Amino acid sequence: MPSASKEIKSMPENLAIKIENLSISYKINVESKKTLKNAIMRASKGERVRTRTVEAVKGLDLEIPHGSVVGIVGANGAGKSTLMRAIAGILPPTAGKISVNGRISTLLALGVGFNKSLSGRDNIILGGLAAGMSKAEIEGQTEAIADFADLPEGFIDMPVRTYSNGMYSRVAFAVAVNMTPDILLLDEALSAGDAAFKEKSFNRMRQLCDEARTILIVSHALSSINELCNHAIWMHKGKMLASGKPEEITEQYLKFLNVGELPSSYEDL
Amino acid sequence: MIEGANKFQVFEPHSSTLPPLRPYFREFWRRREFSTELSKFSDKAEYLESKLGKVWLVLNPLFLAVVYFLLVTVIQGGRGQSGGFTTLCHILIGLFTFYFAQNTILLGAHSITSGGSLILNQAFPRALLPLSSAISAAKQFLPTIPIYVLIVVIGKLFFNDSSLPGLTISYVVLPLLFLLLVVTSFGLSLLFATMNVYFRDTTKLLTYIMRIWLYASPVLWQPDMLNGWHRVILYLNPLGPILSANSRIWIDGLLPTLSQIIACLFWALFSFVLGAYFFISRERDFAVRI
Repeated sequence: MPSASKEIKSMPENLAIKIENLSISYKINVESKKTLKNAIMRASKGERVRTRTVEAVKGLDLEIPHGSVVGIVGANGAGKSTLMRAIAGILPPTAGKISVNGRISTLLALGVGFNKSLSGRDNIILGGLAAGMSKAEIEGQTEAIADFADLPEGFIDMPVRTYSNGMYSRVAFAVAVNMTPDILLLDEALSAGDAAFKEKSFNRMRQLCDEARTILIVSHALSSINELCNHAIWMHKGKMLASGKPEEITEQYLKFLNVGELPSSYEDL
Repeated sequence: MIEGANKFQVFEPHSSTLPPLRPYFREFWRRREFSTELSKFSDKAEYLESKLGKVWLVLNPLFLAVVYFLLVTVIQGGRGQSGGFTTLCHILIGLFTFYFAQNTILLGAHSITSGGSLILNQAFPRALLPLSSAISAAKQFLPTIPIYVLIVVIGKLFFNDSSLPGLTISYVVLPLLFLLLVVTSFGLSLLFATMNVYFRDTTKLLTYIMRIWLYASPVLWQPDMLNGWHRVILYLNPLGPILSANSRIWIDGLLPTLSQIIACLFWALFSFVLGAYFFISRERDFAVRI
């Protein structure tokens, strides 16, 4: 959980996020089955729990001004998602500090937290409440969110289990971007919906950016990073390898991957 | 706009095992509506597929009453006071109360592992999930009280039972007793919810523990069956003093004894502090363990 601190005064006003010497590591249990039975059996044999320490983020420093759209690229296991969760306050730092100036909305995996037995409308309310809005606030925005999700008529009041994958993703995306957050964190969420919805979601993100809101995007769709972001960072094995203009960073990243610069490879990576 | 949410936040390693408690409980209180709505929506999803829907909330305790009526007054031959009717009432009010604690603990124990996707996507005080389970359990419990009262009225009218009390002053203690039951059960649900994150068979084991716990509690037997030092058993059981005091009010029409009240307070405080400490000190680890 977020911890309040008076040290926030030391953060420059133009910054939305300030990350200082951040390291995140955690122990994972190597045991395949995490059961009491196994624990008792192990204890009876005098064995210790076999764990492995994962160093997901190592010594990261980053300052993100208000109104920035920052793209984060990197291979699987680079620490991108861990970093996003740490900024959202979901994972605690092992060392260092993250200062956040603004209310956060997250979309760290499409449609998570949705109850498929409930209608889209009910899930919008639940999603808003989970994000910290009051019921009155979210009810005031339900229609706008439903309109943005652009579902076929009547679907918003039908159980989510009857939705196609695209419809499901669009509702989740609509909830995240319509909460008018100060800071929006998107992890692999740009693939929601068809081309028309993609254009609509890009426009919405540009609008958020014009309102001086800050957006962090983790995506393997490099052309989207180039199109939307005004800054990009490249993470590799928990460290920030490069930071700069999106085109330069994605180019370096592509070279590193030895993929070449074919336009199609930008989207499909 | 997300009103009231913290605009400035600093995330840093905690020097102690517990995060700063004042901001934690402030945020917990601010977002309590999430728990009540989550409970409402969970109940809605659960009863959506059922034709009778929430009528089951009334039917379940009624069927339970019928089963025990047959067991106590017909099969057992109506031994005990008023043809076994007093025994039946003691069993029913004990069962309804015990099932509230059981549901709070079992639903709460599941709440973190079943709410995994929410935990991975949103930052909020995780104790809101077991709280939501406790609210659902309370909604299941509340209809049982009018049903119990109805059974007592039927007993008095049709079975001429005069042993059960009418309206007495002792009923004013019931809200306090219920509050202590909620705190005790919620504290234990926090403890078992944390255990279930680390050991996924905790909830399976818990179903057996709850059954043994029921037999060890003064529900199917009466507290005054224990004499001398055997009465210690009542106080070693976290639900024992509450169930004994409950039976004393509903069946005997008497106020709980001082020792019962002190024991209820002790177990509520002990369960809550232990459960909350265990849960809050570990909850930052949940996103990694889920």
